[in-house]
Amino acid sequence: MAKKTYDLLFKLLLIGDSGVGKTCVLFRFSDDAFNTTFISTIGIDFKIKTVELQGKKIKLQIWDTAGQERFHTITTSYYRGAMGIMLVYDITNAKSFENISKWLRNIDEHANEDVERMLLGNKCDMEDKRVVPKAKGEQIAREHGIRFFETSAKANINIEKAFLTLAEDILRKTPVKEPNSENVDISSGSGVTGWKSKCCS
Amino acid sequence: TNLCHVVFSEREKWTFVGSLKEVCRSAMEFGEESSPALAFEKDVFELTVEDVYDISYVIGRDLLKIRCKGEEVSDLQFKIVRVLEMFESLVTKYNLSIEELKMERDNLKGELDRILAERSSGQDTQTPGPNQMVVDLTDPNRPRFTMQELKEVLQERNQLKAQLMVAQEELQLFKSGILPQAEPPLVEVDLETPESTEHNSAKISEMKEERTAIGKLFSFKRK
Repeated sequence: MAKKTYDLLFKLLLIGDSGVGKTCVLFRFSDDAFNTTFISTIGIDFKIKTVELQGKKIKLQIWDTAGQERFHTITTSYYRGAMGIMLVYDITNAKSFENISKWLRNIDEHANEDVERMLLGNKCDMEDKRVVPKAKGEQIAREHGIRFFETSAKANINIEKAFLTLAEDILRKTPVKEPNSENVDISSGSGVTGWKSKCCS
Repeated sequence: TNLCHVVFSEREKWTFVGSLKEVCRSAMEFGEESSPALAFEKDVFELTVEDVYDISYVIGRDLLKIRCKGEEVSDLQFKIVRVLEMFESLVTKYNLSIEELKMERDNLKGELDRILAERSSGQDTQTPGPNQMVVDLTDPNRPRFTMQELKEVLQERNQLKAQLMVAQEELQLFKSGILPQAEPPLVEVDLETPESTEHNSAKISEMKEERTAIGKLFSFKRK
């Protein structure tokens, strides 16, 4: 009965080591804000942002995962429903870059085969503390055939561009269908069902 | 005579079983009362089997002095020999047991020292491994839910968050006048209030009726 407020619902997922700035990247995109205090994400959280691409209103439900290993079992259960996954590392943290292959393996194991992937090297405003050259990020992205951006949630560099590009890539391979097609209803015990039942009567 | 012969052979036995050293010393002292007799004065629990042989030697020598004095005496001699044999066995056994117990004690001491040294040097084995942690049971902020419980709570939190967003969105639509007024609203909402507080409380009271995971976990706090 209510007029629907979007045409498509894309479900995205942020993964990467603890402390690389996944939550900050998301917070910058959804609320255009930045907070320097580090609060470790507990398990899994999400934010909503509606964008307009090619004349379509696309609702992005972006799942923010805890990078800590102890939440692994909780976070991996959210891979399955994701249509796009952003793998974030910290350009000032070599370990977070080394772990990219581990995260890519997680994607292979737990996510859908056709999931759209993207690599982000965050904190690119901290040039003086950089330990991972941009070329290395570009190289590993090329090797795996995925897009790559260096971002800064703090300085608001490439954040919106990254999310919009990922959404565009998903949109490009989304068949032209009505919004209530089943590839939208991908929640596995998540909160997406609420909108669908109310918005598509 | 027959009897005397037996007694004699017993005497021989006492002589030969006596330690060679004691025999030699006795001979050198020309049979005078000397060291073999000292065995009688020793502490019972310090007696060795050599002491027993010394005692046998002394008793045998004394018995020789009264040999062939009658049948009662030779009977007594056999009994004395038997008692001395029993004495020999007891002392031997006793000393062996002491020796065994001492060895056992030393072994256990060594083992204890080894374990104590291992514990003091290898403190690392006491600290938790990479996937373990020490929980202070008196800490009010200690972790106390299982991963499954946390998963359920997070799922429910996210569900409620999604529902809240839907509600806020609908409220926004009502406010902006996109939705025709004629249609019955989903929830009774005062359109004049800037915030959807009433809407929220209605939702929350609905939630309370269900046995939610959060409710289950935190119900004790309401009492």
